[in-house]
Amino acid sequence: MIFGWIRLWVFALVGMTVVYFLIGIYWRSLHREELEKRFDAGGIPGDRTAYIESGMASYEKGLKKRLLWLIYILPTIAFVAVVYILNFQ
Amino acid sequence: MRYVKWTLWAIIASLIFGFLHYTLPQHDIVRIVGTENRRIDFGENSIFWASPDVGTAAGGNRDVFFIQTVQPNGKPMVYRNEDTGWGWPPYFKLDSSNTQTEAQSLVSSAENPKWVAITHYGWRNEFFTIFPNAVAVKQVESPDVTIIPWVNIVLLVLLVLVGLMIRRMWLQFRERTIDPALEDVSETWDAVDAKADAAREQARGFLGRIGAWLDSWKKKPPRR
Repeated sequence: MIFGWIRLWVFALVGMTVVYFLIGIYWRSLHREELEKRFDAGGIPGDRTAYIESGMASYEKGLKKRLLWLIYILPTIAFVAVVYILNFQ
Repeated sequence: MRYVKWTLWAIIASLIFGFLHYTLPQHDIVRIVGTENRRIDFGENSIFWASPDVGTAAGGNRDVFFIQTVQPNGKPMVYRNEDTGWGWPPYFKLDSSNTQTEAQSLVSSAENPKWVAITHYGWRNEFFTIFPNAVAVKQVESPDVTIIPWVNIVLLVLLVLVGLMIRRMWLQFRERTIDPALEDVSETWDAVDAKADAAREQARGFLGRIGAWLDSWKKKPPRR
């Protein structure tokens, strides 16, 4: 039982980590593109690079970045729910 | 070429469909006529069997629970009842002994039928001697009740969403990473090309002059 359990979680953690990084890269890319477009639309004083870098820095501390942890949390909740519903209900 | 392409797509589509059809849960409404437990030696069909009960040792053969049923149309259907444990498919079924007990308590006769909805995955196939794995049994009123497959609806919608997400991620990656890189390459290539052109121009400048000088010694076409 322990072996199967460990194997499941090793695979799950590897999979979830890959998804975490892929979606992290995707969201970062989206955010950077949006910042670039917002600056290029005009009306923002100052340096383009500085504007984008400060925007990215605030993104890294923002809520959306933290929501990425759901990639680990939701499958775990689903796992517990499936085990409970299928076996103990 | 078009036929090759379509054949390939058809094969991929049927593989995906077959995989989902095997793995996703389905409901059958049947009458249980008996349960048993027999020893199975797994052979070529071992891929279609699940794992030993959680916590028990694995071997080349083991006892497997079976649930024998009759469908409303009178045809037989036999289910196996195995733990999936922590392996594939991810039903995390640990309670095969309990399921077997529930099934046993719902055994009924043809004269006084108790209809049971069996949730299962897998296929019955006589050529490979494989059986669908019963995941849950539940008594229902009649063989005509409608069961809405919520699990399948949710999972298939999620699968489509994941597919769309992967597509959007790929497009974003291409737009932001591959295309600029290709542009860089083509700019570099253009620069190389321009250099080569300039060198050729220069070379032509020198050789061309010699060529022109040699040409001047050639016999001129007769003037008319």
